[in-house]
Amino acid sequence: MSEMALSASDIRHAYRGTAVLQGASLQLRPGEVVALLGANGAGKSTLLRILLGLLKPGGGEVRLAGRPLADYPRRELARQLAYVPQVHSTPFPYTVRQVVTMGRLPNTGLFAAPGAADLAAVERVMVRLNIDRLAERPYTEISGGERQLALIARALAQGSRLLVMDEPASGLDYGNQITLLELLRSLAAEGYGILKTTHHPDHALAGSDRVATLQDGRIIADGPPGDVLTAQGLSNLYGIAVEPVCLPDGRLVIAPAVDRTGPRSPHSPDKEKHAPIRPLRQF
Amino acid sequence: MNRSTPTGQGGPSLSRLGIPLILVVILSMLGALCIGRYPLAFVDILRFLGALIGQVDMPAREYDTLFNLIVRIRLPRVLAAVLVGTSLATAGAAFQGVFRNPLVSPGLLGVLAGSAFGAALGILLGVPWAMVQMLSFAMGVVAVAVGVGIAGLFGGGGIVMMVLGGVISGALFTSLLSMVKYVADPYNQLPAIVYWMMGSLAMADLGQVGALAVPILAGMLMLVVLGRPLDALTMGDDEARAMGVPVRTIRYTIIVLSTLISALTVSLAGMIGWVGLIVPHIARLLVGPGNALLLPTSAALGACFLLGADGLSRTLTTTEIPIGIVTELIGIPAFLLVLGRARKGWL
Repeated sequence: MSEMALSASDIRHAYRGTAVLQGASLQLRPGEVVALLGANGAGKSTLLRILLGLLKPGGGEVRLAGRPLADYPRRELARQLAYVPQVHSTPFPYTVRQVVTMGRLPNTGLFAAPGAADLAAVERVMVRLNIDRLAERPYTEISGGERQLALIARALAQGSRLLVMDEPASGLDYGNQITLLELLRSLAAEGYGILKTTHHPDHALAGSDRVATLQDGRIIADGPPGDVLTAQGLSNLYGIAVEPVCLPDGRLVIAPAVDRTGPRSPHSPDKEKHAPIRPLRQF
Repeated sequence: MNRSTPTGQGGPSLSRLGIPLILVVILSMLGALCIGRYPLAFVDILRFLGALIGQVDMPAREYDTLFNLIVRIRLPRVLAAVLVGTSLATAGAAFQGVFRNPLVSPGLLGVLAGSAFGAALGILLGVPWAMVQMLSFAMGVVAVAVGVGIAGLFGGGGIVMMVLGGVISGALFTSLLSMVKYVADPYNQLPAIVYWMMGSLAMADLGQVGALAVPILAGMLMLVVLGRPLDALTMGDDEARAMGVPVRTIRYTIIVLSTLISALTVSLAGMIGWVGLIVPHIARLLVGPGNALLLPTSAALGACFLLGADGLSRTLTTTEIPIGIVTELIGIPAFLLVLGRARKGWL
């Protein structure tokens, strides 16, 4: 295992007596993209917050480079491990440059103004993500895809090698989703370790080195995408029937196995929200 | 100044803007010294300053008149206007950042309601004016403590709980104020309470202004220093934490500092509304939302705003209009203008 790895073992957590995580274990190493899949309410966000040191787990331990996360001063942790939230807006019209510069906080200290080196680092990551042309635009007025890039740039500006992303593709159009997958791949090739949650098995299949699935508070599968994202694995996870389809060039895509002739196989009522894809001819 | 210049997070631009901001405040102060029932020319002020340091010859009678007018009568309220304006505007800008809401004013957590109750209680009890002021300050702080305490009871350092706690605390102290008003003597005490609530700089004296200047300016400076972590805080608690910001510490420090300087100004000048809401917006239009620059700019503009309002309150009619009424009357149209310009940012 690489030196800078983030490693969570046997994480348990409960909100007001309701167990959310019941012994989840997960690793993230530099240079890999790991996709975390799970149904709504499976505890993905909770696990993410625990991995980032934002939430103290009820049990278990997270270690970064072998050292417990709780032992890190907040600033030092922020230089190793960055958080990329879901695309959001802010009440205040910070420029993209200001948003990205906030990422320098763990390096400058809380009270010092960013120096020449910091401003250069900000410029570098904006150029790297091709958003330097947006530098002086208000963050509140650019598109969702551009905002997501600004948030990733902010994380890179922190200087962290490990990035934890909460549904980075949500809110992006199809083209931007694919562009984002490619960006994450190339960041991993540069040595960044990326953990992202996603609701798209296809994204996990195409863009990650490893896929972990979270169900009933545990990581029930963790391995290469082709091994984890099987018809059986996915239907266990989401309670619907899917089938991996092999494209002529050998790539796999996941297709929902919609029964075009009648009602599908019964599933548990709490998974209902994933289910109601009606056969087209009813319309 | 312009948002389109590549100034980063404001590091270099504060050094560039600092001196112009101070100059604007000083010029506004000199202007305010000229205004009044007995108008002075700018030259008179300069000549008097020259005579004061012994560089200009001036007849003794003229010197005495000017000394009386400038130093004894106008200077205390000019200085008071600067103190009150800067602290309310800075506290307002800081609160808007902490609560991630540009419609917030320094009274959000109940400090104004508490201060009003404290002052009214002091007037009811007939204690000396200094005690009234102390009660007003103390009750302002107590009201915020009650609000934050209520939030704490429900497990919240979160901002929604704090806002709700502040609403409850504000309501509590407003009803206590009503009770005091109800039992107050309607011929002497009640008018005194009502006038106090309209705000006035007329009671300011030089010694008191000097004494309050120290804690107020210190509090403001500390708020300005917290500008950068405050930027991160406006992005959300988790994000700020992940950027290495100790969220709770920063939030509570800003709330404590803002509360202290707001309560001090209220004890000095009564209730003066709208400054803390409107001035940060004007400042944001000028220098953008980065708090390291926004807070000092708000401070300077707040001083100018209140100097202007005080000038109007002294000159519009033969008798002085309470300054709280003036700030409201000019605050509302100013806010409408700002709303039109700033809308794209947050609505």
